[in-house]
Amino acid sequence: MGWVPDHTAPAPAIEATGLVKRFHARGGEVEAVSRLSVTVPAGERVAYIGPNGAGKSTSIKILTGILRPTAGDARVLGLVPWRDRRRLAARIGTLFGQRSALWPELTARQSFRMLAGVYGLDRRREDRRVAELGELLGAADLFDDPVRGLSLGQRMRCELAACLLHEPEILFLDEPTIGLDLLAKTRLRELLVHLNETCGTTVFLTSHDVADIEHVAQRVVVINAGRVIFDGDLTALRRDLLAVKRVEVGLESPAVVPDLPGVTVEEHTDTLLRLEVDTARTTIRAVLDHVLDRCAVGDISVLDPPLDQVIAQIYTRGGVR
Amino acid sequence: MRGRRLTAPAGAASRRLLADVAGLVSVSAFYVVVSVVLAGLWRAATAHGPVAGYTGRELTWYIVTAEAATCAINPRLIEEIGDDVVSGAVTVEMLRPAAVGGVRLAVETGRALTRLAVLLPVGAVIGWTAVGPPPDATGALLAVPALALAVAVNVAMQHAVAGISFWLRDTRAAWFLYQKLVFILGGMLLPLEVLPDVLRHVASALPFAAMAYVPARTAAGHVAPGLLLVQAGWLVVFVVAALAVFGAGERRLQEVGT
Amino acid sequence: MSTARVLRTALADAVARRSAFWAQIGVMILNDLAWVAFWLLFFHAVPGVRGWDARRVLLLYAVLTTAAGLALGLTSNCRRIPQLVSGGALDDILTLPVAPLRHLLVRRVDPVNLGDGLFGVVLFAVTGHPTPARIAGYVAGSLLGAALLASFLVLTGSLVFVTGRGETSSLAMNAILLLASYPVDVFSGATKALLYTAVPAAFVAGVPAGLIDRPGLPVALALVGATGTFAVLGGGAFTLGLRRYTSGSSWRSH
Repeated sequence: MGWVPDHTAPAPAIEATGLVKRFHARGGEVEAVSRLSVTVPAGERVAYIGPNGAGKSTSIKILTGILRPTAGDARVLGLVPWRDRRRLAARIGTLFGQRSALWPELTARQSFRMLAGVYGLDRRREDRRVAELGELLGAADLFDDPVRGLSLGQRMRCELAACLLHEPEILFLDEPTIGLDLLAKTRLRELLVHLNETCGTTVFLTSHDVADIEHVAQRVVVINAGRVIFDGDLTALRRDLLAVKRVEVGLESPAVVPDLPGVTVEEHTDTLLRLEVDTARTTIRAVLDHVLDRCAVGDISVLDPPLDQVIAQIYTRGGVR
Repeated sequence: MRGRRLTAPAGAASRRLLADVAGLVSVSAFYVVVSVVLAGLWRAATAHGPVAGYTGRELTWYIVTAEAATCAINPRLIEEIGDDVVSGAVTVEMLRPAAVGGVRLAVETGRALTRLAVLLPVGAVIGWTAVGPPPDATGALLAVPALALAVAVNVAMQHAVAGISFWLRDTRAAWFLYQKLVFILGGMLLPLEVLPDVLRHVASALPFAAMAYVPARTAAGHVAPGLLLVQAGWLVVFVVAALAVFGAGERRLQEVGT
Repeated sequence: MSTARVLRTALADAVARRSAFWAQIGVMILNDLAWVAFWLLFFHAVPGVRGWDARRVLLLYAVLTTAAGLALGLTSNCRRIPQLVSGGALDDILTLPVAPLRHLLVRRVDPVNLGDGLFGVVLFAVTGHPTPARIAGYVAGSLLGAALLASFLVLTGSLVFVTGRGETSSLAMNAILLLASYPVDVFSGATKALLYTAVPAAFVAGVPAGLIDRPGLPVALALVGATGTFAVLGGGAFTLGLRRYTSGSSWRSH
């Protein structure tokens, strides 16, 4: 049987197959990316997450053409990134949280002028685009102030405008909400969703902030040790990742270990009881009721486990799909 | 004991300096280039006879010594002191049980003397291969303590000058001006005897002459042991000044914050 | 053209940082005046050195400050390649649809060095006996010297792709500027040969200044040839280094 190509489906925005990247480091070779494969259809919002050192930055650099892989293949918008870097750069946008595309002493508008020259936009298109983005991002009043004087949240909206100026088909974001206050984070997330829904821009986001993923992503790719260990939609991840909560109880006197379905005891001393609760099997309410009834509780808190730990758990539970 | 509070950090800093081979190679390479170029220029100048009382051979040893005295010092010293004051690093140093100014002087002098120790053999090789041994044995011997004093005076004065960063924030202009004064009035580029009379008198009264001219002319054979006493005098003046400025600056930080 | 646009933006950005601007320009002028003072004092004591006198040296210095002012003022990033690479700024440039070296070179203007260039113009006007022919020679010579200097700095700066360190680059810059500021006939033998080849300090200012006094086609062609050679070498070194960088085999921070 042959595989019949489906001519009605549009080409995927990103298609990586078996990417490998090895670096020479002191003491041998490091494989930062190991046979990584991921496909992102056009117009999707994907969160690309993993612990530090998982290979996220390396794989993004490969996909944006900054780095050449040791082996494997990738197509972004049909182009091979490291071979057609400049052609691809004209069609993608990048927003890296710690870096700036804007000139700090100038106004955002002046930076846009320069970028318009770089991307080859004529004056009319540039003006139209700046006006559109000003409205879309609610930032029109910020464009004429020196960037240096803007708050971080305001600056990020201008940075977003800068990377959207040339109407890119894909937007790569690396930790875009880092350092922002809650309000600014919420606003940025809403903007990304709105942008994707109105313009069809593919959004490829990496972040350590679980809330970023929750509010922006339709699909989540989890990467660890250079390979994809989870690739599915957000609800599936929510089942695995966000279904675990931790309950920490400060005890006033030693207590008996509670025996509840879906509850694992992580630590039990005379003064501390730490429980891991699988919220797919029981509710926090049930656990709290049980504990408060049976233990001399001095202090109690309900926590989300850290992302690194949860991902490690996914990995050790063999969650490779 | 109080002595250890100064010698210990100075010794540590010097050891770290020696471990940074690449940095030492850079300084030495720069020293070689500058010395060879300037010495060559002055030797060519003496083609028709001595200049300002110096023969070509004497001038070569003059330049080699003057450049060693200045290359041994961290070129960004004043700027770095200024940066440390502005950034608050000095405030952290105030938590230690020793005067900030004193420790810094000791450390920086230690570093400069270590660099000098590295540059001395290099300079000796340059001089010897170009024109043979130094013109005067006594001069060559006396030049070594003169160099040490020159370096110490320079470090001390730079600390005193850099102390203005406790009050003003930008010290870069101060450093540039300082460096040019050392170039011309310190005898680093040319022996002071070359200067017209008025300028020469002014230069000999200024501390800059102690930083390059004194050891350089000593090595060149124009020995005047009394000049080393002048160097020692300037050293005392600037150590006191630097400690006073830093003390006042620390008090200001305590009152005003950074 | 986008390069001109970037350059204009860089200039606007630099001028916007006006606070330290005038203090720094003052310092640069002081620096240059100190060197002029040195040469005047030197030739006051020494009538001439191997055919060079105060007038010739000041002409050399005028060309040098103009060339250095242009290279370090307009294409100021030519001296910063190691910092830009190790600081990650190169990655930012690679996400833009531009030729990396060209964009990098025009992306930053240092007006303070332009002040240096201005000093050179004034010095030439005052001591260089400007006639239309000499002015043309001065302009052409300074432009070529600037291009050569920038190319040399790109070449030495590209070492960062191999070693990960930038000290060699700043050492090379100080060395070539220092060597270029002396009458080249002061040097002899091997050193002199070096200044016409590996470290082309003679071509940065000495040769162009000489052409103003004594225009001649062979020397002019040699100057153009030297500039062209180093432009090719510098561009080539950067391109090769960039290839290494994008393959991840050079030192880089992840």
